[in-house]
Amino acid sequence: MLETLSLMGAGFLNALTPINLLMMAGGVAMGIIIGCMPGLSAAMGVALMLPMTFTMKPETGLIVLGAIYCGAIFGGSISAILIHTPGTPASAATAIEGYQMTLRGQAGKALFTACYASFWGGLLSCISLYFFSPLLAKLTLKFMSAEYFWLSIFGLTIIAGVSSKSIVKGLMSGALGMLISTIGLDPITGVKRFMPSSYFAEGINTTCALIGLFSMSQVFILAEKKIKARAQATKFTDKMSLTREERKTIRPTIFRSWIIGNLIGILPGAGASIACFLGYNTSRQFSKHKEQFGKGSIEGVAGSEAANNAVTGGSLIPTLTLGIPGESVTAVLMGGLVIQGLTPGPELFGKYAPMTYTFFAGFVLVQFFMLGIGLLGCRGFAQISRLSDAILIPCVTVLCFVGSYAIHKNIMDIVVMLSFGVLGYLMRKLDLNTAAVVLALILGPIGEKGLRNALRTSRGSISVLFSSVVCWVLIALCIFGILSPIFMNRLEKKAEKEAADATGANVEQLTEEDSV
Amino acid sequence: MKMKKTDIGVVVFMYAVCAFFYFHMTKLKASSQTYPRFTIILLFGLTTLYLIQMLVAAKKHGVESGVDVVFKDFQPKQFFVCLAATILYLVCIYFFGFYISTVIFMAAVLLYLRVPPLFTVITIVVIVALIFFAFQKFLGVKLPVGTVIKALQK
Repeated sequence: MLETLSLMGAGFLNALTPINLLMMAGGVAMGIIIGCMPGLSAAMGVALMLPMTFTMKPETGLIVLGAIYCGAIFGGSISAILIHTPGTPASAATAIEGYQMTLRGQAGKALFTACYASFWGGLLSCISLYFFSPLLAKLTLKFMSAEYFWLSIFGLTIIAGVSSKSIVKGLMSGALGMLISTIGLDPITGVKRFMPSSYFAEGINTTCALIGLFSMSQVFILAEKKIKARAQATKFTDKMSLTREERKTIRPTIFRSWIIGNLIGILPGAGASIACFLGYNTSRQFSKHKEQFGKGSIEGVAGSEAANNAVTGGSLIPTLTLGIPGESVTAVLMGGLVIQGLTPGPELFGKYAPMTYTFFAGFVLVQFFMLGIGLLGCRGFAQISRLSDAILIPCVTVLCFVGSYAIHKNIMDIVVMLSFGVLGYLMRKLDLNTAAVVLALILGPIGEKGLRNALRTSRGSISVLFSSVVCWVLIALCIFGILSPIFMNRLEKKAEKEAADATGANVEQLTEEDSV
Repeated sequence: MKMKKTDIGVVVFMYAVCAFFYFHMTKLKASSQTYPRFTIILLFGLTTLYLIQMLVAAKKHGVESGVDVVFKDFQPKQFFVCLAATILYLVCIYFFGFYISTVIFMAAVLLYLRVPPLFTVITIVVIVALIFFAFQKFLGVKLPVGTVIKALQK
């Protein structure tokens, strides 16, 4: 206990260095800009900024990525409130009440509520991050080779099912990624496998694949659509604040949404887009002013925003402890972790504990930056959210190129990124799952080592894969992973329907923005 | 739900990937085949399962093209111009280096997408400055100079 407290204290001291603080501010601002622009997603932003973190210390790099993540989730609410277009799907529910408030001349109040609720949602989610992460990480100490193999399969079943319309297609995407991950030298015997040139000796560069699948593919998606002029962002003159009474009203809503968002975040496979609707619906159910819903309720905005930001801390728990990211953004974040040479699991809370606790402390401080930058910069960000796709297309392309080149200073990396960009575009058009491919590229080698080491110790008998209780638990979780999307889809549809029934809002239109 | 004809392409692509990897896998040592074999079987099995789902859907609900859904609002000219410009940009970087190619690429795409000239100039200046300071100065990344520029410098 004392050791943990001292690690927490040291983490805060490390996180408070000028460079870390500067990076937090920059990351949050970048995240808000990415989040508030409809068409750019949080995962895309984190993928795009990944190469920037290479030369940084691991903790600083992770803080930057965490800051972009939090900033982007909040940033989505700005365009949701001002132009009725959620910047990210996580803010779809915010648009319902937020835009109504804007129409009533209360845009400033809506933005303040979103910022305030996001801050508390994010901050409270750090509590579970501090408490549950080390406990869950200890569990993985019991894992042997066979367990690691099943863990990799579990991770894939979760993400493959969640972000896909068809579970089988999601699993196919994961299997395709696993197959691509076998390109390169055999990790055990060193034999060349499926290598057209020596460039691929170390396998497919995960960062290039990430940038291609998430960011470059988005450029192609933007390029295929007719360039439309965005709606004028409403200029607001009302004060960005809440009265003491209003703050008191939204306090229980924020608390409830924190619990909802946090649980949704911890549960691998559910994400901020589900949390925002659940938070919104719960706030309506418990509200003493139900009549205000659909006409611009601050409780609705607070419920949605606190829930989606509470997901951030929660979703880091399975990512950092088990190596199972629950959604696309955390899959990219895990890529950043692996690229820094770190493996999720007990090592992060043992050998690398100072780094991990610095990241946690940074994640807490990021919430304060989000509050400050969010409140001060709302008017400016509102203008940025109107940036045309015509400008975004070449800008994001250039950043994809320079980002993938920066890794090894090799033009071949750009070729790989571009190839994955085209692959990602086609996959997204055909409802395949790009996040599953990325995760398979990360988990593939872990699964391969697990499988082959397990088979080697058992002299080729596959019974070793079913020899322990943990193996059976993981197999059961794999089955849960395959079946959970059915439940999650129903939950999301139900929450959306309830929101639509109660407010008359066109939720489908709000959630139709494609998210990676 | 009706079977989409576009999904035939998905199935064909996945089988082709399986065949390609299987063909190359057979040339490997037995010990190196374990994991690729496992993933090929997995992908093959899942693709076959999807094919069965498609056939069942076709029998129950009929067949639809799917192209109109997949390529809804598709702007072919704009898309292929952007794609071609991106590929040319890559080629240009190899010959003329990063900065020259970036200015040409951005100017061409922005003007093609009808961004007013003033905004085009501002966007190019902002992006080039961002890359220069963030990548070259802050991260110390040496961006490609280009073979032609290198030859001229000699």
